[in-house]
Parts: sequence; structure tokens; C-alpha cells
Amino acid sequence: MNSTIAWITARGLFGRRRFLLLFPLPLIFIGITALAASIDTADEFATPVLVGIGVAVVLPLVALIVGTGVLGSEIDDGTIVHILTKPVPRWKIVLSKMVVASAVTAFVAGGSAFVAGWMTDGPKLGLALAAAMVIGAIAYCSLFLALSVVSRRPVLIGLLYIAIWEGLLSNVVSGTRVLSVQQYVVTLAQKLAGTDLLMSTVKLPAAIIMTVVVTLGGLYLAITRLRSFSVAGETS
Amino acid sequence: MSEQSMIHDIGYQRYQGQRLGPRSIFGALYVHGLRAAFGLGRSAKAKIFPWIAVGLIGVIALVIAIARSQGSDDVGYADLPSIASVVVLVFLAIVAPELVSRDLRNNLLPLYFARPVSRAAYAGAKLLSVVSAIWLMMAGPQTLIFAASAFGQGDVFGELRGLLGGWLVAAVYAFVFGGLGVLIASLASRRAFAAGAIAAVFLVTLPVAGVLMSLGNKTLESLAPLASPTMLPEGVREALFPADNMPIGNYGPVYLAAGVLVPALCALQLILRYKKVSL
Repeated sequence: MNSTIAWITARGLFGRRRFLLLFPLPLIFIGITALAASIDTADEFATPVLVGIGVAVVLPLVALIVGTGVLGSEIDDGTIVHILTKPVPRWKIVLSKMVVASAVTAFVAGGSAFVAGWMTDGPKLGLALAAAMVIGAIAYCSLFLALSVVSRRPVLIGLLYIAIWEGLLSNVVSGTRVLSVQQYVVTLAQKLAGTDLLMSTVKLPAAIIMTVVVTLGGLYLAITRLRSFSVAGETS
Repeated sequence: MSEQSMIHDIGYQRYQGQRLGPRSIFGALYVHGLRAAFGLGRSAKAKIFPWIAVGLIGVIALVIAIARSQGSDDVGYADLPSIASVVVLVFLAIVAPELVSRDLRNNLLPLYFARPVSRAAYAGAKLLSVVSAIWLMMAGPQTLIFAASAFGQGDVFGELRGLLGGWLVAAVYAFVFGGLGVLIASLASRRAFAAGAIAAVFLVTLPVAGVLMSLGNKTLESLAPLASPTMLPEGVREALFPADNMPIGNYGPVYLAAGVLVPALCALQLILRYKKVSL
């Protein structure tokens, strides 16, 4: 962890207009929850709203934009060279970027999930959902951070993962659920809250182990690839 | 300056040939955009994703063709766009920033507009090439279904009517998706953020509209699909060819109007956006 790199990263995220992109998503999430809570009963709308919008869309998209942005935009701009030439270990660079990305994602997704969960079924669900979102934010950010070092098109691969793997396949082929971060988050939230409002599809130990594996695997991949990173121009 | 005042003649020559007008520039921009969307004339890396997407939709078309040859009438030409819409969305999120955001990022717009091409023509050419690319992504596989089923059973004209209807539905999808996608991409200079923004708009509105539909209010159920660019074309399809796919009630004309207005407003907004060269 290097506070200078973390500070530069945070300024790069917050200092531009594009950061405003992150706010409509949680606002829509909370707004729809409020609207549904005023009309429908909790067991009717909990899954489509909390899981369908919050866990399946807000969390991965915020993590995709932030997670690929913290390191990816430096690689795109070429400013990564300035960091790589400083006597800072590569693992510290990756870890600093990771901490900033996870914190921002966890704040945006976890905060809105806390409000939405509270409105749905009281503070217990709110806290459980927020905690699961924070864990999910760490796993997703690690995954997308690794993607941004491994590939020059991290957003493309991340979108394919979110839209096709988690969105389409998980609904049809149940076997892919064990390999989908979205399902871990749902399972964790359901077990933490001890509620029947959410449906968990993977077992709790599997969810915990896989979350740890995804997080550490992503970090390891990002660090090793950054060690042998070659600077090149934009792809055609 | 006269010839005599020249110190060195280093061989610069004026272009003597015929100068093609703005229309040719429009055509060139359009053709280049369409080719670039499918990775033609670009590196092998850039070809991987578009052709994976084409392949995925082709597989969907094959499955539909096989189902139809077995005598199933549940899925037709007009069903393909909605089944393929997620793949098309990812394709859009990659292609629109590719065509629009890179020009912004590399500060190419002043160079473009130094030529006799109007800003509206530039915007129109980019928009049209994305719309055509998306339409081809869906209309091509639909034609594949037609080729597989029309010459098997014999009712060629019935199949042809279905194919033309399918093409029309694909065009509605292409204009709504392309219009919104290019407009969003033109507001971001970084491809990654443009792609994220497009995906965010399409992915978040879909479950929102779904939740609004399920709240139990009849009017809301009929009008909620208007809130999602992914569902809107499906509503337009329901208005054009009623088949009980989507509960739009008596609001068919509203959907038809929205299906025309949304792309038109996006195009207008895009032209207004290019009054400024920078962001």
C-alpha cells in the first residue's frame, strides 16, 4: 500500500466529469426500491429489485467502470510508465489501486444496497446486503483490475462476463453459477440476513471459498503480469 | 508566388485530379465505419470479437431454423432480435465507442471538419454505419433462417413475408440501439468509459422496466417497456405484429410513435452535440 499512488488514483477517479457516471445507477436502484416498497409487499419485489437491479447490475457495472479505470486508464494514457519506473514494488502498486477501487465501489454499491435493503425489510437485511456488496465489490474489482493488466480490452471482456456469462448463462445453465460472483453475493446476503426473501443458489462454503479464490487469484494475476509489463501503443 | 521566386524546387505537386464532393466524403465515412465495425481492414485482434458475436447470433438462427423445420411455429423471424439482444448490446457497446470516441480522443474532429464535410454529415455517417452494422447482425442470420426453411417446405411467399417483417423489426432494434449508443459514445472520449456508459444505460433500465411492469398497475404495465431501450423495440414489434408477446394494451400507437421519435431525437441531439468539436 502506497499512499501517494492511492491518492493519485483517487484524484484521477474523482477529478474528472466521468465520475458523475457512477451516481445515477445507485439513485435509480434506491428510487425503484422506494417505489416498489410503496406499492408491493416485500416478498414480491425483493428478488427482482435487490438482486435483479442491485446485485446483478449496479454492483458489477460500478466495479467494471472503477476497477478497469484505476489501472487501465493509466495504461491507456501511458502514465503507468511514471509509476513503474519508481522504486515501488509492483505488488504495492496493484494493492494501492485495488484498495481505492474496492473502497469506491463498496461505498457506491454497498451504500445504496444498505438503503434499499432497509426499505425492503428493515435494517438487518440492509446491513447484510451492504456487507455482501462490499465483499462482492472486492472480488469484482480484483477480477476487473486483473483484466485491465492482462488485456488491452478489459471493458469488452468484462462486459461479456457480466452480460453473457452472469446474465444469460446463469439463468439457463445452473452449472455456471458456481463460477459467478453475482451468485456468491446473493448467497452471502441471504445467509447473513437469514431471510427467505432472497434465493441463494450456491452453498455457503462454496461461495466463501470461491470469493477468496477469485479475489486472491485476480490480485496474483495482476501483480505477476505487471511485473513483466511491456508498454505499447493503443491497439488498432 | 511566381516560379522564379522559388529557391529550391523540391518537387511538391498540386493535386490535379477530380475533387470528390461532400457526398463522397459521407460515403467514405459510412463505408469505413461499417467495415471497421466488423473489423474489416483492421488487425486480426480487432476481428475476433465482432465475428464471435456474428457466430453467436448465427448459432441462435440455426437453432431457430432447426426448430422451424421440425414444424414448430413458436419462434419466427421477428423473435431473433429479442433473443439476440444481449449479444447485440455488447456489440454496440464496443462498436459505437470504436467509431466515435477514438476520433474525440485523438483530436481528429478539427481535421475532419477542415474538409468540406458538414458536422451533420459526419454525425449521420457514423450513426448510419452503426445502425447498418447492427441491422446486418440481425438481418443476416434471419436470412439464414429463410434460406433454411423456405426451400424445404414450399410456402416461399409466406416465409418471405415473415422474413420482411423480421427485417423491419431488426431495423427498429437497430435504430433504437444505434441512436442511443452513438449518442452516449459521442459524450465520452475514452472507449472504456463510453462502453461502460452504454452498457449501464441498457442494462439498468431493463430490470427497472421489468419491476415497473410487475407492480400490478395495468396502465403502468402497458407503458413501462417505454422506459427501457431494450424493451421498446419489442413493444413496437407488438404494435406492428400483434402476437401477445408483450402486454402493451391499447398503447400500440404510443409505441409506434416512440419507435420513430427516440431514434429521431437521438440523431438530432447527436447533430447538436457536434456543433462543438471538444467534449
